[in-house]
Amino acid sequence: MNFADIKYRLNEFWSEFKKERSGLIGLAILVIAILVVIFEPAILPWKEANRKWRSIDYWQDNSANAPPAWTNAFTKLKAPVTERIETFTREETELDGGVKLETYTFEYHYKADKAPLDVIFHVTGNGDIPVAISIERPDGEIIDIAQRFEQGLAGQDIRISTDNEARESVFSFVKNHESEQALEMMSGKSLRPADIIFNTAGPGMVNAFSPLKGTYKLIANIMILDPENTKVEDPYIVVTGSVSGILGTDDAKRDLFSGLVAGLKWALLIGLLTSAISVLIGVMYGIISAYFGGKVDSVMQFIYQIVNSMPVLPVLIVISAIFKPNIFMLIGVMVAFFWTGSVMTVRSMAFQIKEETYIEAARALGAKKSRIIFKHMVPILIPYSFASMALSVPSAIVYESSVSLLGLGDATIVTWGQILHDAMSGAAILKGIWWWILPPGLLIAIMGMTFAFIGFSMDKILHPKLKTR
Amino acid sequence: MYKWFALKRVLKGIFTYAIIILIVSALFNTVNEQTTKSNIEDQIRAESMRLKNMQASQVQRFQQQRREELYRLYRLDRPLFERILFRTWNVLTLNFGKSTVLKSSRGDREVLAIVGEALPRSMLLFTVAAAIQIFVGIILGLKKAQKPGAPLDRTTSLITMIVYGMPTFWLAMILIMFFVYQLKIFPSAGMHSVPPPEGIMYYLDLLWHMALPLLTLLLIGFWGISFVVRNIVLSILQEDYIMAARARGIPENKVLFGHTLRTAAPPLLTISILSLLGSISGAIIFEGIFSWPGLGNLYWIAVQQNDIPVLMGDLAITVGLYQLGLIVLDLTYGFMDPRIKVGGKA
Repeated sequence: MNFADIKYRLNEFWSEFKKERSGLIGLAILVIAILVVIFEPAILPWKEANRKWRSIDYWQDNSANAPPAWTNAFTKLKAPVTERIETFTREETELDGGVKLETYTFEYHYKADKAPLDVIFHVTGNGDIPVAISIERPDGEIIDIAQRFEQGLAGQDIRISTDNEARESVFSFVKNHESEQALEMMSGKSLRPADIIFNTAGPGMVNAFSPLKGTYKLIANIMILDPENTKVEDPYIVVTGSVSGILGTDDAKRDLFSGLVAGLKWALLIGLLTSAISVLIGVMYGIISAYFGGKVDSVMQFIYQIVNSMPVLPVLIVISAIFKPNIFMLIGVMVAFFWTGSVMTVRSMAFQIKEETYIEAARALGAKKSRIIFKHMVPILIPYSFASMALSVPSAIVYESSVSLLGLGDATIVTWGQILHDAMSGAAILKGIWWWILPPGLLIAIMGMTFAFIGFSMDKILHPKLKTR
Repeated sequence: MYKWFALKRVLKGIFTYAIIILIVSALFNTVNEQTTKSNIEDQIRAESMRLKNMQASQVQRFQQQRREELYRLYRLDRPLFERILFRTWNVLTLNFGKSTVLKSSRGDREVLAIVGEALPRSMLLFTVAAAIQIFVGIILGLKKAQKPGAPLDRTTSLITMIVYGMPTFWLAMILIMFFVYQLKIFPSAGMHSVPPPEGIMYYLDLLWHMALPLLTLLLIGFWGISFVVRNIVLSILQEDYIMAARARGIPENKVLFGHTLRTAAPPLLTISILSLLGSISGAIIFEGIFSWPGLGNLYWIAVQQNDIPVLMGDLAITVGLYQLGLIVLDLTYGFMDPRIKVGGKA
């Protein structure tokens, strides 16, 4: 079988496949999925979601259990969206004694009806650095948030959170505006700084929130005491809103969209690798069993029946619980069960092919067994297994996610099943956090649907008897 | 002879089961022995606590002696192959030993009691679900095959493909979120209210708890069956004797349910039992979502509590159940299709 043959048969297959609308839809989704995997670095909103999915630091600026940003379209009071602001204006002033003052100004356009949860300033520093943060409101008032003196830094991140550090300064700001009565009723601890900073100043501001919309300026003053050894880099601020990202966040503040995108490649890998290897093994097994016949066939059939009469998922669960396999070992275990799927059909077809005259002719010409099997039988039988290859992809994905759902998944990667496991243990069902549960399962279902579309269409072409007449 | 066919099949099933258990025992031998050894250590420690008026050296000697005795009892002093065979034999005689953490509802630590308690609950849920699924699936499949390519056939085939890879446990989560916490019409978990009501209310309460798990299994289950039924029936409907029956003026329903269904019975039975087995093999994990206290839920708990003996017992029973299903499948198949048993070489 040479290249032209393959090309011809592919063309023939394609002209049939083109007529199957559902097959084309499946193929289109598969192509999109593969494109997403290829362009993953560009699509991921959180670039290091793959490596740092379980890191606490990486996600700390998000808000926990935040609904997706687009839910704002359905609510009357608009919630602020989590934003990361990296554009700033920088001013430098020379002070006495070689000391420099660097001023970074960030602008935040506040348009929502609810207050953000937090405003966080980040900068990477080297050396000894005093930092002072203040916020200038649209009405001209300036609130000093915090002052810090970080010493002996070597490229660490300085994180200043308004919510943690601005309580006192916000309290004194309230004192200037609020009525005496209200002040007596409250204590400084019960204030949430962001509620005050984004509130219209005046009596009653402690108890009621009426947003003061407009442009807020966060001003960071950084003193460079020793310009030779001191350096600050990459300053940015994060305004944490109560809605976030395309698909919201979970209770560990992780961006779910990033997790789902990162999980796609694993779903494809698990599904395709498992089914491809197991179908190839199954085809070879069936052919060898049929070709040699007799005792070999009986022994191989016996092994086949033993494997075939084991329930896959329970065994998979127990193996995962005891050996804690990584993802590739898990794929290996699944292959050990999945290969039986195509054996019987291939075997019965191989029995027929074996008796064909051209096989006899090849044998008469002195062809070796391996040559007959690989040159004459495998190429004919492989295409028939493509349908079962496509149809066993979904079950591989579902089995992996079932194992992950029990908390037995590979902890070094992100899979959809693991996200569902986290949702289960985070009581997402009880709290009604639908954006945590709905998308991962939906994606598993869509992947299953895609391969079902492709597989059933192939099945129809390869086994014409099922066609509706 | 059907008798010989049946006997042969049953013996073969038992033999297969024994081999599977042998493989499982060999695979998990190390972890099983670790559990046994730590159990023995616990027992020895408890026994030496009870000893009084003994010197340290005497206690040590006693412990050493006890350890040897118990190792001999559990055959831990024998060569590896014999230990594996011993364990296989234990499992085959349903001698699973004691659990490390879990207890049955009566406070029993016997693994057999714990698993035996869960078994009927799983059977109840899955057989009822399978029965309804098969019924709906066959009716729908017949309707589909009657007019292939019609709107009904095309839409239901589309849905079949859409739900093909949908995880049951996920649908369960969604339905719980909607029906239990939004509409508040079903209980969230378990099999009975606490405390369980008496008399007729007991069964109604059970039904009420079972409704949502059943609904979940149903929503996903019957599409696949109806699709297979359609394909089987469709090929039968193209046979000559069906055309002859129609030509004789036999009513369409009689052709469908009489002539077609009788011929289709063996393969239909196969897919019925296979779908029941499929739920043992695949949907069992979904019990954990509903806290339905069956075999699947036991996997969740045993994994969480790291209770190896219960995990092993659960696995042995699940595999046995699966094996039993396969035997029943072949026996009924042979009963309904005379060609099989005459061939004898099943």
